[in-house]
Amino acid sequence: MNDALGREAVPEPLNPLGIDGIEFIEFATSKPQALAGVLEKMGFHPIARHRSREVELYRQGSMNIIVNSQPADVPRTVQPAETPIISAFAVRVRDAQAAFRRALDLGAWEIPVRARAMELNIPAIHGVGESLIYFVDRYDEFSIYDIDFRAIPAIEPNPPAISGLHFFGIVQYIGADRTADWVEFYSQIFGFTPLPDRVRFGIMPKGLVLQSPCGSFFLQLIEPQDTARYAFSEEHLQRIGFGAPDVMTMVATLEKRGVEFLTSEQVHTSDRGALTKPCLGSVMFELVHAEPRTRVAQR
Amino acid sequence: MIFSDVGMDTASLAGPLDGKLAAVRRAGFSQVMISASDVVGHPGGVAAGVRAVRDSGLAVTGLEALRDFEGCDSRLHAYKVDVAKSMLEVCSELGGRLLLVEASTSSHADTNADAMIRDLHMLAVLAIPMGIRIAFKGVSWSRTVRDFAAAGELVFRADCPNLGLAIDAFDVLAARIPLGDLDAFDPEHIFLVQLSDYMWQKIQSVEEQAATATHFRVFPGEGAHSEDLATFVRKLDAIGYGGNYSFDVYNDDYQQMPPEIVVNRARRAAEWLVETVLRRALPVPNMERLRRTAGE
Repeated sequence: MNDALGREAVPEPLNPLGIDGIEFIEFATSKPQALAGVLEKMGFHPIARHRSREVELYRQGSMNIIVNSQPADVPRTVQPAETPIISAFAVRVRDAQAAFRRALDLGAWEIPVRARAMELNIPAIHGVGESLIYFVDRYDEFSIYDIDFRAIPAIEPNPPAISGLHFFGIVQYIGADRTADWVEFYSQIFGFTPLPDRVRFGIMPKGLVLQSPCGSFFLQLIEPQDTARYAFSEEHLQRIGFGAPDVMTMVATLEKRGVEFLTSEQVHTSDRGALTKPCLGSVMFELVHAEPRTRVAQR
Repeated sequence: MIFSDVGMDTASLAGPLDGKLAAVRRAGFSQVMISASDVVGHPGGVAAGVRAVRDSGLAVTGLEALRDFEGCDSRLHAYKVDVAKSMLEVCSELGGRLLLVEASTSSHADTNADAMIRDLHMLAVLAIPMGIRIAFKGVSWSRTVRDFAAAGELVFRADCPNLGLAIDAFDVLAARIPLGDLDAFDPEHIFLVQLSDYMWQKIQSVEEQAATATHFRVFPGEGAHSEDLATFVRKLDAIGYGGNYSFDVYNDDYQQMPPEIVVNRARRAAEWLVETVLRRALPVPNMERLRRTAGE
C-alpha cells in the first residue's frame, strides 16, 4: 500500500489516548527531606522508596507525588537542586506504549529508556522546559509502584486524603506569545481542549485553561505580564493545583498543620480558592474549589 | 522594515565563523542568519561554534537549512527526523528562534500533499518545546513546492501556530510570481523574507535557475532587478509584514573575497532598501556596535 495513503489522517476520537487523570506528579530536589516536610504538612505520607534510585513516593487519597533526588542522566531534564522543581507528571492512558508511539509520530521528543533489570520501562516524552511527561497504563489491579518501589514497613499504603483533596491541575509558566504553541502541543498529543475565557477556577484568573479529555485535570498556561514580557524567562511547571470541595474548611485544616496562605490585597483566600506562601525557594500550592470527579469510564 | 530588521547570512561570506561574525558586527548589523555548517564545522567543535555566536552579541535571525524533510518514506522519514532534531538542538543552543526549512527537491520525495502536511506539522510540534518557529520555503526546482504560494498552501493546511513561511525574493523574481499572490497571506504567517538579486535579465531554464540560485546571486541593489525587488519589498511593507529580512546571497565570487568587503556590500544593500526603497531614516553606521560597547 502507498505509504502516504497508509498514514492518511482519519478522524480522531475525542480521547484518543484514553486519558484517565494523573497518575503522579514528580518533584526534583537535592534536599528531599526539606520537601518531605512541606508535603507532609499538605497531608502527604511517605509510602515507598524506589529500589535502585533516590526516589520516594508520597501519597494521600488518589494522589501520588514522587520526590526524585537522583542526579539527572538524560540531557534536557531537571538536575535536582536545592530549590525543588516540578520535573514531571504522568498521565494515565489506556495503552502506554501506543500512546507513546502516537506522541512520537506527532512530533514529541522521546526520553531514552532508563529502566534497569526487572524495572518497568515507563515511556516518557519531553514536556515544557526540562520537564517530562510519562505515560502510565498500570494503575488498576496493580501499579507501577508495586514493581519499582519497596514499601516503607508498617506504613498505611493508602492514607485517606484530607477532606477530599485531589489533583486539580498544574500551572505552567510560558514565554510571551507562546500560548498558541502550547495549546497545539497539548491538544494534538493528548487531546486537551482550551476552555473559553469565561470559565475560571480558583482565585488566579490569568492565562488560558486547558481541560484533559477525561475532564478531570487542567493545565493553566500563563504568559509573562506587562514589562516581564520583554525579559527572558525559562518556561516551566510552576505549581500544583489541588481541588478541595470546601476551600475555607480546607484552609483552616491546613493552617492548623502549619501551612501558610497568602493574604495580600490581590491574592487572598476565598471560597473559590487559595494560594500557599512560597517555601523552599518557589514551592507553592493552589487550592481550587472543586469536587473530586469520578473517573470517566474509558475501558 | 528598519535597519535592525535586516540580517546578514553567514553562508554569504567566506572564511571561518569567527571572522564572519566579526565582519557582520563591524558592518553594523545587529542580527545574523546562521548556516548550520558554519557552527558544526567550527574548528573548535560545535560548542565553540555556539559560543562564538553567543559571544558575538549578534541576535540570531535563525538557523538554516533543513532540506528534503517532507514527503519521505518511512525509513528515510525516521532518518530525517533525527537530522531535524539535531538542527533544532543546535538552533536552541544558539539562542535561535527560527529554523529555515526548504521544500524537498529529492525525486524520491512523495508528492502527496497530505503526507507533506503531516510531516511539516510533526516538524513544527518537534520545535514547540524549544520555542522555535519553522519557516518553510518553496524551492524553484522542487517538484511540488516551487514558490511561496505553494508553500503557503501547505503551511495553511498544516495549521500549526509555529509553522509559517519563508519567502525568497530570488524565487519571486526568477519565476516572475505575481505580487498580488502576497495578498492572500496573513503577514503574521510570514516568518522570514530572504533578499537577493542576480545579474542576468532572464533565466532560460529550471537548470539555469538552480545554478543561478546557488552560485550567482548578488545583493539587493546590485543586480538586474532592482526595481522589481523594490516593488516586492514595498509590497511586503504594505501588507504589514514586520518580520526580519536576511541576505541569502550565494555567490562563488563572494566566497573568494574577504568577508569585510562582502559585508560592506550587504551594508550598502540594507541602506538602499531602508533609505531609498522605503524612505526610512537610517541609524548612523555602527550605532548598534557603539551602543553595545557603551553597555559593556
